[in-house]
Parts: sequence; C-alpha cells; structure tokens
Amino acid sequence: MGIVIAVISGKGGVGKTTATANLGLGIAMNEKSCIVVDFDIGQRNLDMILGLENRVVYDLVQVMDGDVKLKQAVIRSKVNENLYFLAASQSKDKTVLESSKVEKLVAELRESYDYVILDSPAGIESGFEHTIEFADAAIVVVNPEVSSIRDADRAIGILDSKSQKVKNGEDVAKYLVINRISAEMIQSGEMLKSDDILEILNIKLVGKVPEDRGVIDASNRGKPVILDKKSQAGQAYSRIAGRLCGQKVEMKDIEISDTGLFKKLTGMFR
Amino acid sequence: MKSKQYSVKVFETTIEDEQKFMEFFDINYALFKDHLILIQGEISDDIKEYLNKKPLTFLQNRTLPVGRSRKAIEEELRVERVESSVNQQIAEAKIEHLSSKLQNNLTVLDDIIRSGRDIYIDGDLLLLNRVNSGATIHTTGNLIITQVVEGALRCDGNFMMMTASPKANIIFHGVEVDNTLLEDKLNRVELKNGEILITPVIKKEINWAL
Repeated sequence: MGIVIAVISGKGGVGKTTATANLGLGIAMNEKSCIVVDFDIGQRNLDMILGLENRVVYDLVQVMDGDVKLKQAVIRSKVNENLYFLAASQSKDKTVLESSKVEKLVAELRESYDYVILDSPAGIESGFEHTIEFADAAIVVVNPEVSSIRDADRAIGILDSKSQKVKNGEDVAKYLVINRISAEMIQSGEMLKSDDILEILNIKLVGKVPEDRGVIDASNRGKPVILDKKSQAGQAYSRIAGRLCGQKVEMKDIEISDTGLFKKLTGMFR
Repeated sequence: MKSKQYSVKVFETTIEDEQKFMEFFDINYALFKDHLILIQGEISDDIKEYLNKKPLTFLQNRTLPVGRSRKAIEEELRVERVESSVNQQIAEAKIEHLSSKLQNNLTVLDDIIRSGRDIYIDGDLLLLNRVNSGATIHTTGNLIITQVVEGALRCDGNFMMMTASPKANIIFHGVEVDNTLLEDKLNRVELKNGEILITPVIKKEINWAL
C-alpha cells in the first residue's frame, strides 16, 4: 500500500510541476518505487520536464475510461528505474474527470507503488478538486510572495473541505515547500520570510528551495535539476525527497546567503 | 428544635365577683375545659387554687395576638404573590438586557480562517485563530479575535476585541474602522453616542533596545 501525495499550489507558475518531477525522481533515488501522475489534463508539461515527451503513447484519461490497461500507459523512466510516469491527456480538458473513475485509478496506483505523486492543475476548479479528493497528503508549493500565499491558502481551505479523508473524519497531512527563495531579497526585506509564510498558512514546512538559474535549463532539457549535484535547488529537492522518505534531514537555512561575512553581518543587524 | 403549631380557643374575662366566677365555671366546665382562660386584672389565691384544681389552664394579664379571618390571610398571600412575580419579571428583563449586550449564542471557533471562507454568524463569535487575507467574517453580535486578522470583518454587535491588524478591512456598524488606530495587543472597539471608540485592553509590549 503506497501513499498518495497531491502537489498543489493554487496559483500557477510557482514551480508545481518542477517540484513534482524533482521530488518524484528524488524519492525514486531513495530506492522507493514512485509514480508521478500528471493531472493537469489539457495542459500537460510533466512529460517534458521528465524528458519522457516522445515516449507517451497512452494517457490517464484512456486508462480511466478503460480503453487501455494501466500497465500499458505507465512509462518507466530510463534515468531511474524506480520512477514511473503516467501522462495527462493533451487533447481533452479537465471536465472529463469523474470522481468514481479517479477513485478507481488512485486505488489501483496505491496498490502498485510506494509513492504516488499527483501533479495538480493550477487553480481551484474541478481538475484540482479531483486531484486532491483521494490523496492522503498534499505538498503545497508556494513562492515567497503574497499572491502565491493567498492562493495556496485558498487551495488548502478547499483541500480541508473536499478531501475524502477529511470527510471520513481524518486529517490530510499538508507539507509546505517554499520555492524560488532569494536570500538577498529576503535580507533586503523585498521578499516574505519563511516564518511569516508559515504563520499565515500554519502547515508543516518540508523544505525550502532557492532560486536557481539551472532549473529552467534543466526543465528545457528534460533532465530534472535534482540530477545536478552542484545545483542549490537540486540539493534542496534531494533533502526534501529524503524527508518525504522518512529520513531525518537537517533544515538548511538558505535564507542567509553564504557569499561573505559582511552580508551575514548586515543580515544579523537588520 | 422540635416545634408544633396549633390553634387554641381563648376565653378572655375579668373577675368582678369571685363567687359568680366560680359558679360560672362550675356550670360551663365542659364547655371551657379545652379553652385557655385569660384573666385581665388581679387574681386571688382562692381563684388560682380553684382553677388549678378544676383543672383549667389560665394566663394572667397578657395581650395575645389577634387572629385574622381566612379571607384576610388569602388576600395578603395574593398580594405577596403578585409582588414577587412582578419582581421576577423585572429581574428577568434585567438579565435579558445584560445578556443581549454580552452574549447571544456564542460561537467558538478554533479554525484558521483561510482565504475564500465566508463566515456569517448570527450572534457572538470568539475566534481563537487567525483570519487570512481573502476571508470574510460577518457577525450580528460581538466579535472577539485573539489572533491577527488579514481578511475582512463585518461586525454589528456592541463591541469588537482584536489585536493590531494593519492588513485587515474592518467595518463596524457600517463604518470603516481605521486600523492604524488599532495599535495595541488587544483593542476594544465599541459604539458610544454614535461614535466609534477604540480603547486598549492589553498594551503593546515595548522591546527596549539594549
């Protein structure tokens, strides 16, 4: 029996799909079987970021409709053999999802893999609701800016009211990933501090990812940044994946830039 | 204390002629043997001896409480009852007036009120968690919030209590409250003589620079 984790954000463009790809790969690197599922029907991106674009034959909608078997549609990654991928349909739209079909698919995935990661579409429409409905946990990806925080707050609110687990009287675990942190901007007061974000959202922090130029290039090339051992963002995703696999990984304070003693001192007196 | 209560018939008299007095009681003994004989004036030893011998219970020179008719007693009870019911009504009205000022159907919430939630409460609300940006709370009664508010508040109660919340949008009885005036840890906002009055309840802690 695996665990189903939905990756949500509310706002688009905060790095949800990048986080899904990297965390999926990170978990697979921890010797756990992991499947990443693109629930962003009609706007699929995850295949490109994982570098599996040209291997997609069948998609999730075809599996749900019973046209093909799950095993036929699942793609095994060549980068890491523990990583599997199920693509979204590019031609259909979110309205094709039905609760009963989603439930059946999620149950089937839960049986077959240790970790099932669902990449939710942006927004809070039906596609989002179907993604979170049968998830055991959610990873909330935010950027340190007010609009992202407010949208994430709304998404968490919907998660807390629409999730099947909550309806059964249980709690949905919620983990926060703060993405695209710029230490310099936080120190100059231009960017929200993690403490402020945590106070507003009031969920557990699972990791902070710094702004990293390498992320875009990695996505374009279809090689998630976690594969780059030198990348700050890649290291951050590795730490988060370790935490998701139950390891005790120290939080690294990426909000203090380590580019010199002088900057550290100015940060202290701020 | 052991006590009993009973009614006794009293025969009150004066003695003018001792002989006649004794004759009277000899004849009517059967009638008066259960009475209390109350004699006003002096009594000679002969009479005392006579009464003790009979025997007849007697008292001398006393004023006994005068009994009242049943009708009079009932009338008095009725008046008392009316008075107490009026007093009770007054007391009840007072309590009702107080409670309408302090508490009507208090709701206690400990959820974090996230963006997009729209809460309408007919009555008072005690909220122990924060109100995030994009959430709205409307109460017809009083509103007490212990954490910071970044969303919108609509309160039509007698008072509001809240912390300094520079991002909140607060409308109290249809009037927007300038939240720069809410500068303390706990502020009380109320309507007095048509004006909004803000008073600090718990002052802001001052962190002295070392």
